[in-house]
Amino acid sequence: MFENTLDNFAHHNELRGTNVHFKVLFALLTMLVSLISTSPVVPIIITFLMSFLIIFKAKIPWKFYLKFLTIPFIFGFLTFVFMALFFGVGTTIYEFNIFNLAVTVDGFNLGLLVFARIMGGFSCMAFLALTTPMTELFSVLETFKIPKIVLEIAMMMYRYIFVFLNEALNMYYAQQTRLGYQSFKTTYKSLGMLASNLFIRSWIKGERVYVSMESRGYNGSLYINNYQNSIGIKNLTILVLFESVLILGVYLSGNFRLF
Amino acid sequence: MHIMEGFLPWQWCLFWYMVALPVVAYGVIQIKKITDEHPESKPILAVSGAFMFVLSSLKLPSVTGSCSHPTGTGLSAVLFGPAATSVLAAIVLVFQALLIAHGGITTLGANIFSMGIVGPFAAWLVFKGVKKIGWGPSIGIFCAAVAGDWLTYVTTATQLSLAFPIPTFGAAFVKFMVIFAYTQVPLAIAEGLLTVAVFDYIMKLRPDILVKLKVISPKVEETPKAVA
Repeated sequence: MFENTLDNFAHHNELRGTNVHFKVLFALLTMLVSLISTSPVVPIIITFLMSFLIIFKAKIPWKFYLKFLTIPFIFGFLTFVFMALFFGVGTTIYEFNIFNLAVTVDGFNLGLLVFARIMGGFSCMAFLALTTPMTELFSVLETFKIPKIVLEIAMMMYRYIFVFLNEALNMYYAQQTRLGYQSFKTTYKSLGMLASNLFIRSWIKGERVYVSMESRGYNGSLYINNYQNSIGIKNLTILVLFESVLILGVYLSGNFRLF
Repeated sequence: MHIMEGFLPWQWCLFWYMVALPVVAYGVIQIKKITDEHPESKPILAVSGAFMFVLSSLKLPSVTGSCSHPTGTGLSAVLFGPAATSVLAAIVLVFQALLIAHGGITTLGANIFSMGIVGPFAAWLVFKGVKKIGWGPSIGIFCAAVAGDWLTYVTTATQLSLAFPIPTFGAAFVKFMVIFAYTQVPLAIAEGLLTVAVFDYIMKLRPDILVKLKVISPKVEETPKAVA
């Protein structure tokens, strides 16, 4: 399944050994720079840089990465079209002769900016998702003073997401072989059965997990071993320089417009 | 309805984070209280969150031809209360952003506000209201799920038009609402129907869970218990 492979790549990629704090800092700072940018130039540069890092540094297969990027791309493109057509006042670039539709300068620029920001932000998120396993992200969140109880629940939830996805898929196939999902009505019936059975099973599983954890000495908190390589002065310097250059880029390209 | 990464200007990202944070913090305190009293509820909360995630990855056919996924927050709000749901929804939203590229990190605050706070609170209030009138839990849960969904869309439309008030807030709001109305009104009804189906099955097979969660009052008559 799709989620499985993503998790797989997070555990097996060339940037796996890099310090987690460094990766998180890098991705989040770049994301913020992309967010505060007022022109589409810097976010688009960020998109290409991040994609380069993901494909050539982390060695994620480019086909898989592009598949990951299609959802935001389609959504971003639709947003761009929508904004170009409906969110402008002022001079027009192009007029359609039907329905009184027109592409305006404001709308076009705004749409392009939002599209660039979506792609920039998403490539940063993809970097984080594809190079860092979720359990290590939790250890970073712990230093951000996120309450322990939330992290524990999140960690168990993460584990069970994959268990249930498999279970749901099994049930789905079982239902299909028994003439489920044949028409609109049966689809609802089948889906309802699947979801409720899943809930009941999850409930039972939750109770059993607690019993099994308790019998192994669970006293209310989980401990994880997270050894990390140090960030290193060199990497830190590169990070600061990189973000400074990007911010400078934001400042210089602030008034850039295509039209 | 997720707001995508990078869609909102940074001022609004910050604003929605500040709005969502106190509610989630309150939810964390609630969860802490529950788990301190009943330690066995910790794994149950976790699997419920996982259930929400899996439910949201199921495709649901809808009348307009578009496909969407149920949010599951309505059900969760009725089962666990809105405060705990807001925390679960926050965690689920992080997973959705990082695992299936739905939503985002910078727009997390806005998404938590619309899907984790407004929707569940609306659903919970409607469910309580219908219960008070005296209608059955099935009608209650249908109304709760639909109301939760609709209010989520209204909130999202408000958030979007606040961020892009072009030419004015009102005009932008109408535009966003029109788009949502065509696609999301049937979807909300579809999710309502599905939630009822889920709820009915749970009630038939394991009513003891619902009694334990104080969703329905314990019945005097003996209900046949299925082999789990």
